[in-house]
Amino acid sequence: MLQPVIHSEAAMSPSAALQSEIFRIFAFLTTGLLIVGGGVIALIRFGFAKNVSHAWDSYRGWLVMVPIISVSLFAGRETAICFFTLISVAAFIEYSRATGLHRDLTMTSAGLVGVIGIAVAAIVRDPQTGAPGVYGLFMAAPVFVSVMLVLISVLRNRPDGQLKVVALSLFGFVYIGWMFGHVVFLANARNAYGYLLYLLFAVELNDIAAYTCGKLFGRRPLCTNVSPWKTREGAIGAVVISALFPLAVRFALPEFSAIECVIVGLIVGVGGHLGDLAISVIKRDVGVKDMGTLIPGHGGVLDRIDSLLYTAPLFFHFTRYAHGL
Amino acid sequence: MNNDSWHYDTATDFGLSFLDRLRRCPREPDPFVYAARTVSAIAIRAAMRIYNRFEIVGRDNLPGDRSFVMVSNHASHMDTVALLAALRLRCVHSAYPLAARDYFDANRLRLALTAIIANVMLFDRDASGRQGLNHCKELLEKPGNVLIVFPEGTRTLDGQVGMFRRGIGLLVAGTSYPVVPCYLKGTFHALPKKSLIPRPSRVGLVIGKPRSFEQIEQSDSGAVQISNELHDAVLALSSETRRQTSRSLSKEAYQ
Repeated sequence: MLQPVIHSEAAMSPSAALQSEIFRIFAFLTTGLLIVGGGVIALIRFGFAKNVSHAWDSYRGWLVMVPIISVSLFAGRETAICFFTLISVAAFIEYSRATGLHRDLTMTSAGLVGVIGIAVAAIVRDPQTGAPGVYGLFMAAPVFVSVMLVLISVLRNRPDGQLKVVALSLFGFVYIGWMFGHVVFLANARNAYGYLLYLLFAVELNDIAAYTCGKLFGRRPLCTNVSPWKTREGAIGAVVISALFPLAVRFALPEFSAIECVIVGLIVGVGGHLGDLAISVIKRDVGVKDMGTLIPGHGGVLDRIDSLLYTAPLFFHFTRYAHGL
Repeated sequence: MNNDSWHYDTATDFGLSFLDRLRRCPREPDPFVYAARTVSAIAIRAAMRIYNRFEIVGRDNLPGDRSFVMVSNHASHMDTVALLAALRLRCVHSAYPLAARDYFDANRLRLALTAIIANVMLFDRDASGRQGLNHCKELLEKPGNVLIVFPEGTRTLDGQVGMFRRGIGLLVAGTSYPVVPCYLKGTFHALPKKSLIPRPSRVGLVIGKPRSFEQIEQSDSGAVQISNELHDAVLALSSETRRQTSRSLSKEAYQ
């Protein structure tokens, strides 16, 4: 059985960030990658005179996102939790607008209450142990949200179409609010910077690697009815790169053995693709191309965090099982 | 049982930016916009009641069960929120004050504020306004919607009630939609055109009896006739308030 670890200090704060080797290295790494990426795009644009408008739009999106994410992580545990919750809320709204759940304001609001409940469970301290975040409440959240949603239907005294809205709202809460909530809850880990920065970085690297490998070697399609442009070569290349990546950044996961590093890498590599395809299934079924327009060059928030949704809970529970949070 | 198809009602404005969504009408429900609108409606009602001693006479005249048109004189930005304050709180999301597109879509802040707080429907003041009238009719055909129209077309500069334009007549001629004439008193003094900060002067709203214009044919002359009739109805309400006010004043003065 896992013993709860008592935290006297929060692991995340501006001073901790400045002292943290992990935070500094990732800051340098990200800044360097942004500069190199910009240079490569400029080279292809001006050196080879090719059309790079798509890549440039995506790059511009990163130029906005990276500073916002960095500042929210730098400022401490509470701001990180609030920032990730905002992302969760925005993604839930996109989902509700895509599926038509938004026409039922009460059910949408109830789902949002659940999403915010996750943030509350993450931000307060456990009354028994004093550790930041009430893990039990966080894990039991879907129970309470189910009860709340069904209760709304009962109180309405109207059976028509209720299963549909309850199902849509509950799935939205579990898949977006709760699963992304694992990223929120990671802010309470002892090694919060290591886990969060590794996870965010590795998931994005996985996406970029799949795109690049697919462009370079892609021949055979992966899953045509769901996402026509993904290729097996791209997926395999990305899984290999993702599996090896934790070994390259072992400083971020100091407690992990080499095998555990590869397992974590495979979680990100395979889970990232499955998460991407899962959101594609929803988009195809509903009949929309992008989930929103909030991030220029990337589509909606949900398009950006799709891989994280699938990966974060697997990473979270593996880490918690192997080393405690 | 066929599990292959489940009908999703994706938002009709899906894929538009937030501001473009605010430009459309009717808008798709959004929990945050609704929450902001409800909170601001409560705040505005409370503030007007305290700051402007706002009073509503004849609220019972509002038809409760169906869509209707509110017609009023126009002197101030306060008019719209004053008319909205006469409705039940949950109705503010289905009340659409017609707002001049050239003025209210002139900058983003103005558009966002008026769309979120007052749920305005942007309307062209020039010839293409006729398309907007069809849009208004569609809204009125659904139950529970309220259209708020200032037929003068602009805020008065001298405090007098100006001529009513015939657009309102074209909208309701030959239809059974109830039209409720309203008279707003004191908003010209409280927040005239070109002033930013409201004065703490008394504001009142008188709501008249609803009427409909089924018998009048849909033509320009019919429209002018309706507009004139509504103009007179609103003015009649104004004299009504003056009498009431003077009576209560004189009582206070002599007791």
